[in-house]
Amino acid sequence: MTLTVLILGEATNGRLAGTSVEAIGVARALPGTTLVGFLAGSTARAAAAEFGRFGVARVYAVDDPDLDAAPLAARVPSLKAVVEKEAPSVVVVGGTTNGRELLARLAAAADLAVASGVTEVSDVAGGVRVRRPIFGGRATETRLLTGPRVGIATRPHAFPAAAESPTTCAVEPAPTADIPPARLAPKRIGVTATASTAGPGLTDATIVVSGGRGVRSPENFHIIEELAASLGAAVGASRAVTDAGWRPTSLQVGQTGRAVSPQLYIAVGISGAIQHIVGMISSRVIVAINSDASAPIFRVADYGIVGDLFQIVPALTAEIRRVRGA
Amino acid sequence: MPDFSLTPDQESLRDLARKFARTEMAPHAAECDRTARFPEEIYRKAFDLGLMNLNVPSDYGGSGLGVLDQCLIVEELAHACGGMTTSVIANCLALEPILLGGTPEQKHRFLTPFCSQYNLASFCLTEPSGGSDAGGLKTRARLEGDHYVLDGEKCFITNAPHASLYTVFATVDPAKGHRAITAFVVPRSTKGVAPGKDEDKMGHRASSTSTVRFEGAEVPVADRLGQEGEGFSIAMRTLDQTRTPIGALATGIAQAALDHAAGYALKRQTFGKPIAEHQAIQIKLANMAQAVHAARLLTWHAAWSIDRGAKGTLESSIAKCFASDAALHVADEAIQTFGGYGYMKEYPVEKLLRDAKLTQIYEGANEIQRTVIARELLRQYA
Amino acid sequence: MEIVVCVKPVPDAETRLRASPDGTVLDPESVKFVLAGYDESAVEQALLLKEAVPGSRVHVVSYGPAPYTEEVLRQAIALGCDQATWVEAPPGASPDPVTVAHALAAAIGPVPHDLLLCGKQAGDDEGGMVGGALAELLGLPDFGCVVDLRWDAAASRFRFQRATEGGQESWEAPAPLAIGLQQAWNDPRTAKLPAILKSRKAAISKVTPPARSADAPKSVPQKFELPPPRTGAKMIEYKTPEEAAQKLVRILREEAKVFP
Repeated sequence: MTLTVLILGEATNGRLAGTSVEAIGVARALPGTTLVGFLAGSTARAAAAEFGRFGVARVYAVDDPDLDAAPLAARVPSLKAVVEKEAPSVVVVGGTTNGRELLARLAAAADLAVASGVTEVSDVAGGVRVRRPIFGGRATETRLLTGPRVGIATRPHAFPAAAESPTTCAVEPAPTADIPPARLAPKRIGVTATASTAGPGLTDATIVVSGGRGVRSPENFHIIEELAASLGAAVGASRAVTDAGWRPTSLQVGQTGRAVSPQLYIAVGISGAIQHIVGMISSRVIVAINSDASAPIFRVADYGIVGDLFQIVPALTAEIRRVRGA
Repeated sequence: MPDFSLTPDQESLRDLARKFARTEMAPHAAECDRTARFPEEIYRKAFDLGLMNLNVPSDYGGSGLGVLDQCLIVEELAHACGGMTTSVIANCLALEPILLGGTPEQKHRFLTPFCSQYNLASFCLTEPSGGSDAGGLKTRARLEGDHYVLDGEKCFITNAPHASLYTVFATVDPAKGHRAITAFVVPRSTKGVAPGKDEDKMGHRASSTSTVRFEGAEVPVADRLGQEGEGFSIAMRTLDQTRTPIGALATGIAQAALDHAAGYALKRQTFGKPIAEHQAIQIKLANMAQAVHAARLLTWHAAWSIDRGAKGTLESSIAKCFASDAALHVADEAIQTFGGYGYMKEYPVEKLLRDAKLTQIYEGANEIQRTVIARELLRQYA
Repeated sequence: MEIVVCVKPVPDAETRLRASPDGTVLDPESVKFVLAGYDESAVEQALLLKEAVPGSRVHVVSYGPAPYTEEVLRQAIALGCDQATWVEAPPGASPDPVTVAHALAAAIGPVPHDLLLCGKQAGDDEGGMVGGALAELLGLPDFGCVVDLRWDAAASRFRFQRATEGGQESWEAPAPLAIGLQQAWNDPRTAKLPAILKSRKAAISKVTPPARSADAPKSVPQKFELPPPRTGAKMIEYKTPEEAAQKLVRILREEAKVFP
């Protein structure tokens, strides 16, 4: 018996979003499934064909330009009609702001057991098991979603993109459904793309790159800043660097400086004195780059590279830029 | 037997104080200590949140809390900074004589406007020639018709340079010793009242302390608290009320010292392991923890007794004496735990020792506390 | 304006995370549950709107078990909410978002509401789905990740920004509306002592949510895990800096999953 999995897609300018391709990958990994896609908005039909590139043979498209500037709530009646027609056991969406919100509304409309921010999915007897970070990543929970229908919003970038697996994709319009007027009353009146000028603040940043005494001089510190820029990261420094006046004390991470807990902390040329460690120990992943193999920082790091940072860091910056297509 | 758990009401009060202490006081404690700055903006915030004038009944605009509730708040504030806490609770000390000795008309006339907006008050008992010997005070109050004229000098008065109100103890007849001591309420605006310059202190440097000189200061008879000669009793009964919260203040300093020491001991490594795994440190921390627990429970017991109507002199003296000695010792051991780093002003523990020291001296020096304890104790055997 | 704010009691920031004896959930022993994070901002925003629009009232609602849900509602009352409703959850419940939404809808549906305010996500499980599900049940359009919510009295419209991965959207919408607040640029006020003492005696309405059918969808917690203690770095072997860089980037993407 095959189960049907419905993938809610997101598209911009006729292209399927990366998070949607990740969601397709999750759907394909579930055993014995029939895949169906859903897209709504002004470029729905154009992007719908992309589903075929990743092995999805059927897509419902609601090709309505008015939906772009209308609340996500306006898409729910069509989506609910698709769910009633296809009776999927699992609905998957890339957990972006839009994806999460749409799934939340569908969950109430069609009675789904849902979880968001999911990083692992497995099909087990009795339901779908999901794993997700909680408490700001300081813990993880595993849940069993049971019921006739479950919904999953993935954590963006936690799953790899689906591999290409081209297949003919039949695009059909979603069954018609009335949209209650209240759902059309709000209006989007403008969109501004994010301007990434200065990097994120140290304490809010998802990624922090810090430089220490190993950087040797203030003139060299730019290699830390370039690595940070390539990652969209905040820049930090050890006390040695700020005491020496190479960078302002506002950048100091440590016991008498700032405490940070990003997803990724890269310590470059920092030996790992306890005064620094206490400021970054609750980072989820710690990478240390140092020329001294016995530096204490390697005791608390998850990954380490022993080597000349003046060679490693520029190579890392270049690799990140290459991989990000920047 | 009393239930040692806090009621939800008490937890709410403690949480408010803790939040204020951690977010508003603690971030500025080191800077105010270093520069001896009086952080009026922090005291104003404390007033806005209802953390001042804790002992004044709500009828007069205070928070109307019992002693135990006050202690819960005071310990949290002191954990962040002993000096700031001293200035926040100095109002309680200064206003208590009005609560104990004032007529309903006086309470309303002085307390209601005072508590309606941010104001500081000072309790003026200590003099250059007598601290512990309060009964031998020399400030003179001469009756001249419808007013008294005050002449004399007080010293080590908390908040004096910033206070708008002083409660002053003076003698109407030096020959009669403590039996002639009389209590007065003296607004700052009174001609002939002059607070001095802020003293440069070892600790509690966010608090402001100075002399107050009275030179021909005229105080209306209507502003006298109680009768002539009742002042010493009013002062002693005031201290019976305020002594226990000082135990809580000392407990807060001791708890902060213990928190710093234990946290450091788990992270600092020597001889291949965290120092918390060395027996020498474990014994130290164990002794510190015993002292903190005992200080807190003695304070709570004294507060509970007073809230039930007991005079509580013995219990509150034991609490204040023990807790202040404990604070000094625990702070000292915290510095020792930090080793060389503990000696550096960049680390927070040396300040705790300097702040703890004052708690052994003010609000009744511990030598006096011990004589009081002995007297109360021996009464039970007489 | 009738404003309803939904809040969830969550463990306070200093809680030491520990698994329960059966390993399925956070050990509730000695956990202090408080009003925090985005919910705190939502309450503040509701109170600011109340102050800006004369005659407004704020009704705070929370779904959770005894005894701490009531405590959190009292905190909200001490901050200035006019009315509070406690939707009682069975002890130890950790339900799915739709179950929570049904429970809250039972309390909110019957009362007037021009604005339904939630925090973007709860401070513990960070699901961020209850708001949308609740809005669907109540028939309200909803917007999550809202930044900068204002009421334009002249136009009788809410104006707000919605933060998405691509940028910011500007929206205008009439009441009634549901909003999940991400950032309000407000500084949540601290309740004052007299208000705290008064809130202890405030009346809190209690609602028992309707039972859900036995075959309703469920989300059952199975494991609560802390990250394994750090045992030392996995050293990356390499011959050239480029190789080191490639290996590290691959690890960060695939193993650690920290960036795309």
